[in-house]
Amino acid sequence: MKYPCLVPVAAVVAGVAMFALAAGPVLGQSAPPKSKASPAAKTWTQPKTPWGDPDLQGTWTSDDCIGTPMNRPANFGDRLYYTEQELADRQDRLKTQLQTDLVETVASGQRVGTGPPAHWAERARRPCRQTSLVIDPPNGKTPDLTAEAKTRRIPEGAGNNNPKADSWEDFSYYIRCISRGVPGSIFPVIYGNGQQIVQAPGFVTIMQEMVHEARVIPLDGRPHASPNIRSYMGDPRGRWEGNTLVVETTNFLGNRNGLVGNGGGTPFSDAMKFTERFTRLGPDEIAYKITIDDPKTYASPFTVGFPLTQEPGYQNFEYACHEGNYAMFDSLSGARAQEKRAAEAAAKKK
Amino acid sequence: MHYPGRARILLFAAFAVLFVVTPSNGQTKARPTSQVPRMPDGKPNFTGLWQAMGTANWDIRDHSSQPGPFFQLGAIGAMPAGQGIVEGGEIPYTPAASAQQKENFKNRMKLDPEVKCYMPGIPRANYMPFPFQITQSQRDIAFAYEFATSNRVVNMGKFKAGPVDTWMGTSNGHWEGDTLVVDVTGLNGNSWFDRSGNFQTDTTHIVERFTLSDADHINYEATIEDKEIYTRPWKISTVLYRRKEKNVQLNEFKCVEYVEELIYGDLKKK
Repeated sequence: MKYPCLVPVAAVVAGVAMFALAAGPVLGQSAPPKSKASPAAKTWTQPKTPWGDPDLQGTWTSDDCIGTPMNRPANFGDRLYYTEQELADRQDRLKTQLQTDLVETVASGQRVGTGPPAHWAERARRPCRQTSLVIDPPNGKTPDLTAEAKTRRIPEGAGNNNPKADSWEDFSYYIRCISRGVPGSIFPVIYGNGQQIVQAPGFVTIMQEMVHEARVIPLDGRPHASPNIRSYMGDPRGRWEGNTLVVETTNFLGNRNGLVGNGGGTPFSDAMKFTERFTRLGPDEIAYKITIDDPKTYASPFTVGFPLTQEPGYQNFEYACHEGNYAMFDSLSGARAQEKRAAEAAAKKK
Repeated sequence: MHYPGRARILLFAAFAVLFVVTPSNGQTKARPTSQVPRMPDGKPNFTGLWQAMGTANWDIRDHSSQPGPFFQLGAIGAMPAGQGIVEGGEIPYTPAASAQQKENFKNRMKLDPEVKCYMPGIPRANYMPFPFQITQSQRDIAFAYEFATSNRVVNMGKFKAGPVDTWMGTSNGHWEGDTLVVDVTGLNGNSWFDRSGNFQTDTTHIVERFTLSDADHINYEATIEDKEIYTRPWKISTVLYRRKEKNVQLNEFKCVEYVEELIYGDLKKK
C-alpha cells in the first residue's frame, strides 16, 4: 500500500470503484486455471524449506482481482471464467486505466471530489479471469443471510460523505483502525492487499499490511484455544495437505467484521469457521481459497477464491492507521461543528 | 580465603577437569551450546514465544517504587521498584534532552504512546509486559508483538533502507557467529523507551544483539546512538524468557477500542 492513514479516502474510492463496476466493465484480473507463469509452470516444482515444508514465502498480493465483484452478475450464469475475447477487452481497459493514472492534475473547470486522484490506487497487473470472487456455489452468489443476520447493525463504512458521526462507534472497525478481519485483510481492494509469508519449523506467519496484522499459525496439531478466548482475527491452526497449507480459524468475537470490502457489510457471527487453502502454482502465484461456514449468518457454506501473486518491487508498508487517524477526529469534530451552527441558526430564528 | 596446600591442588584439578570436559566452550560456560535449538543450517533458531520480565517498561533506569498517577487504581496503578537495564545506570542526555525527559514524565498520561495504544517502537516492544512471537525462516525473521498488534520483519538479505520513517523502524539483520545483530533505522522519533518519558528522535540509530544463552533465554542488548540528544552511544541489556506454558500462544491485544473514549471522548455527541 502506498498511502498510510487515508482510510476514509480509501473508503470513498472503494465506493467509487463499486459504482464503476456496476456501471460498466471492470478492471478485472484473474485467477486463471493456468498459472501466471504458465511457460515456467511445466518445469516448476514446489520448493521446500530446509526443514521439508512446502515453501510459500514471499510477499503476495490479491491486486490482480481488484474490481472483480464478490457476486457474479446474472448474465454470466454458472460461468466462472471470462472468454478469451472478454479477457482481451479487459486487458484493453486495464491499459486505458493505467494511462488515466498518469494524469496528475485535475482539468480546469472540473469538479473536485473528496476522493483521491486515480493514481493513488493499486491496479491489477493483468486482467482477472474470474467473473466473481465467489467460486462455489456454481452460480457465484453469496448464500442468503439468515433472518437474524439481516437485523444486525452495519457500521458506517467508506464512501459515505455524510455519515452519522455521533460517536466513533458509528464507524466501521476498519475506519476505527482496529481490523478488517480475516477475509477483509486479504480480499482485493484498492490498496493494502499485501501478505508477507514467513515460515519457521512449526509455524507459518502471515504479515498483512492492513491493519498491521500478523497471523501466527501453529502447525503442531494443538487444539484451538478455549472458546472463552475470542478475537477479531480468530484462532488459526494450520496443517499441510500435500503442498497445500490448510488453515482453520475459529474463536471470533462475532458481530464485528463482514465479508464486503475492507471487512465491512453484514458482520459475521461468533460461530464463523474459515477454512483457507494456499496452493502455490508457480514461482509467482498462489491459488487462495477460503470456505466460509457460519450457520448463524449464512444459509449454507460457500467458497471464495482468487490468485495471490508476487510482483516486482511490491512490499508491505507499515500501516500506522490508528496513530494517524485524523479522519476520525475530523469526522467527529466536523459533525459537532455542524450541530453547533444549526443550533445557533435555530436560536437566531426565535 | 585460605586453602591448605592439598585442597589447593584438588581445586586446581577440579578446574582442569572442567576445562577438559567442556573443551568446545573454551570458557567456563555452565551450559553446553548444544542446548540451543538450531536451524538445519546450524544457525540458532529463535522461533517461539518470548517475554521480558522486570520493570523496564516503567523506567529503563534504576527506580524505587512510586504511586501511580491515578489514586483510583490503588496498588494496581503503582509503579514497582526495579533494577534498570541501562548499562552504567544513566542515559547520557544532553542538558536540553534531560529537561525534555523530565517534561515528558510530568505529562506522561498525555504523551506516552503506550497510553494511546500506539505502536511501541524499538526497543520498547521487546520488554513491554506482553509476549512476542519470533518466526525465523531460512531467510527473514518476523517479530509479532502482542501489544497493539505491532510487528516487524527483519530483512536478512542485502541491506535495504526504509522507504519512509515508521513507528517500528526498518530492521536489517545479519549474523555474527551465533548472535543475531539487527540494525534499526528509519524510526519516526515518536516512540519512548518507557513510561518515564525517556525518548528517542527520528535520527536515533539502534543496533540490537540477540544471543541464545540456552534453549530458553535470550541475552538481549541494544546500543543506542543519536547525536541530537545523547552525548555518547549507550547500551541496554536484559534477558528475554521463553514462554513455556503448555500450548501457550500469542493472543490478540487490539487496544484501540480501549482508548477511543480517551482520545475522542470530548467529540462525542452529548
